[in-house]
Amino acid sequence: MLQPKRTKFRKAHKGRIHGNAKGGTELNFGMFGLKAQEPARVTARQIEAARRAITRHMKRVGRVWIRVFPDVPVSKKPTEVRMGKGKGSPEFWMCRVKPGRIMFEIDGVSPDVARQALELGAAKLPLKCRTIVRVGENV
Amino acid sequence: MSEALTLNAEKRSHSGTGAARAQRRAGKVPAVIYGGGKDVENICLDPVEVTKAYHRGDFLSALVNVEMEGKPLQVIPKEIQTHPVKGQIMHVDFLRVGKNTLVTVDVPVHFSNEEESPGLKRGGMLNIVRHDVELKCPATDIPAELKVDLTGLDIGDSVKISAIDLPKGAVPTITDRDFTIATIAAPTLMAEEEEGAEITGEEGAAAEGEDTTEGDTSSE
Repeated sequence: MLQPKRTKFRKAHKGRIHGNAKGGTELNFGMFGLKAQEPARVTARQIEAARRAITRHMKRVGRVWIRVFPDVPVSKKPTEVRMGKGKGSPEFWMCRVKPGRIMFEIDGVSPDVARQALELGAAKLPLKCRTIVRVGENV
Repeated sequence: MSEALTLNAEKRSHSGTGAARAQRRAGKVPAVIYGGGKDVENICLDPVEVTKAYHRGDFLSALVNVEMEGKPLQVIPKEIQTHPVKGQIMHVDFLRVGKNTLVTVDVPVHFSNEEESPGLKRGGMLNIVRHDVELKCPATDIPAELKVDLTGLDIGDSVKISAIDLPKGAVPTITDRDFTIATIAAPTLMAEEEEGAEITGEEGAAAEGEDTTEGDTSSE
């Protein structure tokens, strides 16, 4: 699963997701992509699940690019622990995804396979997504 | 040369964010024409026409005739802004061009004869390094596309810019090196790794979870 090698601080604020994505909204590598349509916190586990679903459907061909990185630690208090006594310990990593962000890009497969693979990947993610195709490709 | 497009335009009197938003609310696409030593002109376009032209794929490397009040004006699109979520066209920048104007444009690269490549037949993957190439050429002679013939290419081979026949008068803006357009890469071994991971199934996932918690405890 994706996670930072080294961080400056162990715990982060929860934060809120406002507005649309400013960058990463256009396809940069592949012919097809998966674009976020709503804001969400996507965990490293969900990204990995989506990647596996996509690569499994594509079999041995093609290439996948992941355009999001979970760099926000999420902390959690243990069960049956009273409130207070400080913030819990980091449990997992997530990234804040804004609407418009390209999350995955793929190339080297037929349009049908690409679309199906991305739909399978989108099913693993906690947000509404749209499959997009590079402008000018008649597929 | 790419086929010239014609777009109908209307003049708009006001400029700025508010005026542009008003135009969008009225169902128009705000645009601007500049260059050629003349004043900037604010115009608005029909969204259906522009969207159709944009999805042709060579919009940013095509000569466009903007018809305004019955007068045609030769321009090339310099920049196009789209909505990050919906993908609708929000604004277009046009540059006035004349017969002798030299322009820098991104020309799309198209690949042909994929079935004639032994590398791709053996399961290799076409790794496109550049989907478009920046060329400097006369405005009236912009190529519609750059064609790359993949015949005879095996795994490990690459297509460089020197291997492409550029039209007369067109030169790439990168001149200091013979840059790569695409390579034929060997098939990835990702699938094999994944198969191994899948055999472990749930256990694998649990182990990963444990690893994370262990890592966290050690860091505390």
